[in-house]
Amino acid sequence: MKAVGRRTAGAQQHDAAVAALGVAVAARVPVLLWGAPGTGKTSTIRAMAEKMGWPCETVIASIREPSDFAGLPVVVGDGVRFAPPGWARRLAEAGRGLLFLDELSTAPPAVQAALLRVVLERVVGDLALPADVAVVAAANPPEQAADGWDLSAPLANRLCHLAWEIDPGAVADGLAGGWAAPTVPALPDRWEAGIGLARGLVAAFLHVRPALACAPPADAASAGRGWPSPRTWDMAARLLAAVDAAGAGEETRSALVRGCVGEGAGVEFLAWLVEMDLPDPEAVLADPGSFVLPKRGDRAYAAVAAVAAVVAADPTPQRWVAGWQVLGQAAADAPDVAAVAARTLARCRPDGTPPPAEVKLFAPVLRDAGLLGG
Amino acid sequence: MTTSGGAAPGTAGTAAGGMTGVPGLAAGRLWAATRFPYLASGLFGAQVIAVHDIGTVAVDDSWRLHADPALTAQWTPAQLGSVLVHHVCHLLRAHAERAASAGVVPDTARLWVRCCDAEINDDLVPAGLELPGSPVLPAHLGAEPGRLAEQYFAAPRPPDVPSGNPEEPDGGRLDCGSGADGLRRPWDSGGPAGLPPWQARLLARQVAQDCLRHGREAGNVPAGLLRWAGDLLEPAVDWRKALAAELRRAVADAAGAVDYSYRRPSRRASVAGDVVLPALRRPVPDIAVVCDTSGSMSDDLLAMALAEVEGLLRAVGLARQLRVLACDTAVGPVRRVSSARQVELVGGGGTDMGAGIAAASSLRPRPAIAVVLTDGFTPWPDEPPRGMRVVVGLLGDDPPEAPDWARAVRVPDG
Repeated sequence: MKAVGRRTAGAQQHDAAVAALGVAVAARVPVLLWGAPGTGKTSTIRAMAEKMGWPCETVIASIREPSDFAGLPVVVGDGVRFAPPGWARRLAEAGRGLLFLDELSTAPPAVQAALLRVVLERVVGDLALPADVAVVAAANPPEQAADGWDLSAPLANRLCHLAWEIDPGAVADGLAGGWAAPTVPALPDRWEAGIGLARGLVAAFLHVRPALACAPPADAASAGRGWPSPRTWDMAARLLAAVDAAGAGEETRSALVRGCVGEGAGVEFLAWLVEMDLPDPEAVLADPGSFVLPKRGDRAYAAVAAVAAVVAADPTPQRWVAGWQVLGQAAADAPDVAAVAARTLARCRPDGTPPPAEVKLFAPVLRDAGLLGG
Repeated sequence: MTTSGGAAPGTAGTAAGGMTGVPGLAAGRLWAATRFPYLASGLFGAQVIAVHDIGTVAVDDSWRLHADPALTAQWTPAQLGSVLVHHVCHLLRAHAERAASAGVVPDTARLWVRCCDAEINDDLVPAGLELPGSPVLPAHLGAEPGRLAEQYFAAPRPPDVPSGNPEEPDGGRLDCGSGADGLRRPWDSGGPAGLPPWQARLLARQVAQDCLRHGREAGNVPAGLLRWAGDLLEPAVDWRKALAAELRRAVADAAGAVDYSYRRPSRRASVAGDVVLPALRRPVPDIAVVCDTSGSMSDDLLAMALAEVEGLLRAVGLARQLRVLACDTAVGPVRRVSSARQVELVGGGGTDMGAGIAAASSLRPRPAIAVVLTDGFTPWPDEPPRGMRVVVGLLGDDPPEAPDWARAVRVPDG
């Protein structure tokens, strides 16, 4: 992670969006940048294609007809053939490249419908584009583009949505030193092996929260952004594997997951991943010596408080003493964190159990805080 | 797939022995976590770094507190703990981010921070916060308590209320840091890495959940914090945005605006040989607004919703197609209006929106979209009207549900 803490949160989020764009392109997941007009979406995407040496076909969706994406129907003999337009032929001949769909949200509904197969399956009329063609799109939020439509829910569900918010600092840097083109990370040959593990994680999460497996949005405004469905969860799993293979940061991973399944479901999934890292309190009680205090303060507190809470729920003498052993170890590194949990344990002392030696460890800090006897 | 790890070393790891060199930190934090247990995750999640000779305790937006040990040594544990709580609230309430949207520049930063302080302190000081010096309260800004920092900031200050707190001369004020006003401080660039933004968001959500749970179980969480937690976990949807999206969708669907159709051959087909081209069609939809004028309706809210509908239709170029029906149990005369101000609300008494919808669908030419503005206390038809999309604006707080076949948008009061 480069220079965190030296950049504003806004700049970090923009960096994450740029990195997320690169990862999504590398993983060949269709991606859509949402941002106000004039914030450099188009130039960033073109610069990225140029840097990779890929052909980039820009198709402005709002001035195209449905037949430009579904193929032009041509009457041949006794049937109709759907002839692909020139840009699709060029991409197919090159064998790889970037298909850039600009102004997606100002495309009329019929054009959006025709785009459904292009975006996910890369099929244009009767022509299937090669697997190495990446689909990238850009759109203005409907409230910022006067003639905009909301994206239709089926089209929105085929894309990973990234917020393109420009940080003033990044603009100043870009004007002074030129705009940095996003790098598409080179994924190792066997990166797709990691998708299985990521799918397993998603599946475990959906066992806990089955309601989030498929939750089409109720209102029209949020239907145009990412929402959880089996398809978007699969996209999220693919991107999770790609992020790990590319060694991109956690902010990038967060942006990609939220972009696929939407803000609400994405945040819940990420919070669940964090929780998974905490030690299991019952396992800790069974073997107090194995307890390792998490490094970060709030996680240390969560781990210690969880141990105290399970002891308080079932305070047998043996569990109670084991709980104090855990707190005794924690007190060496973080006396205040452990002292909060110690107060919980002190209140649930089983009858006839003598206070263990660890209790004395907490006396000084409790006295300093004016809490002794309270 | 681990989410902790080396990226964000926290307080606990470096806390051994000298407690990061900030005297009294353990006792102060313990005091704060005991007194404000619902903020404990946030208090322990913030990383305290000793920085000498800055003369303050300042916070930045990656959850790092830069504390001058010489200063904290003079404070009691309760005072240090209170400063921690205060700074964690700056972070939870995203004051740095909000400063940017409020248009805070270096000249107004001081006033902004005072407004933020007032937003935090107004219900935490009564809850037992013991800040060193005299804390800023809404009264010092000449304002009512319980508002947001933006409201304090935008409010005109009467000339007789001094902008400074009289008991606290300029030198006595402590700098809250970039976490309060979003302006970088020299010390922000040093020290170990803090929390990246997404982890900061998760931590804030965790604290919000703790606040709500504690509020349900123990019930002593200040109302301002509960409101913050509720807003964070279930952000209110802006009804203007929701109504706009529903209307745009209805218009796009009924009109197709400029949409393509193979119903008729294209005029250009003759030059395109064997290619079948679609024609452009642009039906212009008529729109009827059915206003509930029964006794239970609020005039202001109805005027607001109607103005919003009118503005939207003007934006999509359909303002001239608007007809308005006033309806209680009977339907008033239809008026073709060109402005929301021309609508007179007659009526009163009971409500039956079914009559209004039936009247709208018998208009000629038949409207493609009916917008029903009501408080929801009405019987509804069992079946949707044929060939007409219905968007229901439910006005007021806590209205009953609209029928399944209509698209509903809630327009809350205030």
